[in-house]
Amino acid sequence: MIKLSAHHLAEMRAHAEREYPHECCGLLVGRIEDEGRTRIIAATHPVANEFNQTALTLAFGAGEAGAAQADGSAAEERQHRMLIPPLEYARVERQYSQRGFGVVGNYHSHPDHPAVPSQFDLEHLAPWPTMSYIVISVRQGRTVDVRSWELATDRTRFNEEEVSEGV
Amino acid sequence: MAVTVIIPTALKQFAGGQSEIEVEGQTVGEVLDRVTQANSDLRKHLYSDESTLRSFVNVYVNDEDIRSGQRLDTPVKDGDTISIVPAIAGGAATEAQVAERELPKLSNQEIARYSRHLIMPEVGMEGQRKLKAARVLMIGTGGLGAPLGMYLAAAGVGTLGLVDFDVVDESNLQRQIVHGTKDVGRPKIESARDRLSDINPHIKIDTYETQLTSANALELFREYDVIADGTDNFPTRYLVNDACVLTGKPNVYGSIFRFEGQASVFWAERGACYRCLYAEPPPPGLVPSCAEGGVLGVLPGIVGAIQANETIKLILGDGEPLINRLLLFDAWRMRFREVKLRKDPECPICGPRATIKELIDYEEFCGLRPPTATTQTEEKPQMEEMTATELKQRLDRGDDLQIIDVREPHEYEIAKLEQAKLIPLGQVVNRMSEIDPQRETVVHCKMGGRSAKAIEALKRAGFAGRLVNLRGGITGWSNEVDPSVPKY
Repeated sequence: MIKLSAHHLAEMRAHAEREYPHECCGLLVGRIEDEGRTRIIAATHPVANEFNQTALTLAFGAGEAGAAQADGSAAEERQHRMLIPPLEYARVERQYSQRGFGVVGNYHSHPDHPAVPSQFDLEHLAPWPTMSYIVISVRQGRTVDVRSWELATDRTRFNEEEVSEGV
Repeated sequence: MAVTVIIPTALKQFAGGQSEIEVEGQTVGEVLDRVTQANSDLRKHLYSDESTLRSFVNVYVNDEDIRSGQRLDTPVKDGDTISIVPAIAGGAATEAQVAERELPKLSNQEIARYSRHLIMPEVGMEGQRKLKAARVLMIGTGGLGAPLGMYLAAAGVGTLGLVDFDVVDESNLQRQIVHGTKDVGRPKIESARDRLSDINPHIKIDTYETQLTSANALELFREYDVIADGTDNFPTRYLVNDACVLTGKPNVYGSIFRFEGQASVFWAERGACYRCLYAEPPPPGLVPSCAEGGVLGVLPGIVGAIQANETIKLILGDGEPLINRLLLFDAWRMRFREVKLRKDPECPICGPRATIKELIDYEEFCGLRPPTATTQTEEKPQMEEMTATELKQRLDRGDDLQIIDVREPHEYEIAKLEQAKLIPLGQVVNRMSEIDPQRETVVHCKMGGRSAKAIEALKRAGFAGRLVNLRGGITGWSNEVDPSVPKY
């Protein structure tokens, strides 16, 4: 389960709509409770989408580079891919650590696609089953669906999780 | 040689809740081995096998990526900080989605109940479990919604959402077979819920006693897999279509009038939507509703059952759905015809250059309400209205009123007000001279809609007399004044 406020949801929606037709991405900052089953969100942290093939290779190592074919310009690719650079992740962890918070999940948008993780997401989006993965469906510039997912412990699929508003 | 290892927040629980661990070691690999020795879960989350880090796991010594050094053999020295940071990428891909909901299992009772489905390979155990997992939202529990809901419930669709704000009326029972005589006066969703859960107690029924509006449609639709449109009016039909396009849901459409029915599946991701077929609504009043035009009671039974059939196929993900096909049915001649549909490249909602990006005011779009901006500038006078009770009081007082009935002659035969003169809506302007402008005129129809149109038409045609609309029409008269006047 993920617990967040209406304000967090509104920020993510607005971010997704602002970036349309490109994908937006960001990190979810907060605490993890219930032995990894509940995320309590304290802040959303938008990250500039820096997807390109080089960044993907750097972040995932050379073996993964082929996973996303270089079939267009970086701008075109940002319409259906996003990347959060590891150093940005580390910086956000540091930034919030004094307040007892850290990165507990991430969010990204699917322009004109459903708010359901893709095969690419399964391979790249979700490091660990203790985190929340929010996908925002934006159709024609407007957010139509926000869903949150967690990674199954065997890493074979995502399961939708409850979104509880009111933090 | 103490080195500090920074544990990501997401893995702290596997490291005894610590965010930093101090250990000794000569290389990154050695340090990580020590850290993960105590906890196999932590190791599992970092390593894909004995000695290989997972591809998304980035390890930095201070701010240096070990991939640019000697990887796990990168040497470390006293005071170094090792950070473990995941890389994250994502994206809407064209590949198959992997987040399929886990299908629920069937109980032995359910297996017995659905055996005729289960023995057909086209449905089978997997299909029946898909049905159980499925969530279908039905807009309306009237003529179309009745057979639709009953068959979907019987088929074992796990969650049915019912949207209706109407109350069961005696005149519904001729076709709305989900409701019974004992239900007259009850909210339709309550009556339908009782009947559907009697048919199948294994399913979940969500009821929404509300009018579907631009304000609630998207939120509601998001919760369901398939939307089945059983509405009887154009504003809601366009609303259902647009909300389906914006949320990416298939719209199982049916409509009925007199002896004719239509059915299709509008699913913008795979074919035409309702607007590709009908870009604009008909002018208001041109197409009468079932309340005005009548409907053969069995017709919605046939069309609603077709909708149930299409809904089930969409859930099973098999068969040939009515996508890009419009089925036309004529019950009087007993003929089915099929028209091919094509996605309109200029479609304002599902085309590549769509101009509609959010839900609009559908009453206004269908011409049933003037745009809000113009009402202010034109200072259109409000239409005068009176209730049946007021009319009765005025007549009893002996006021000089002429009453014009703008319904059709066959309706007049069913029920009429004694004092009324019949001039059907279609003739009212041509026969304007029969209405005395010196006298106050009360105009009525069945419910008050057509009489309002008649008043507008007369005013536009220059009629100078005072025109008052009878609110609620002859039905209101029967309700408030004289129950001996039959309601139809």
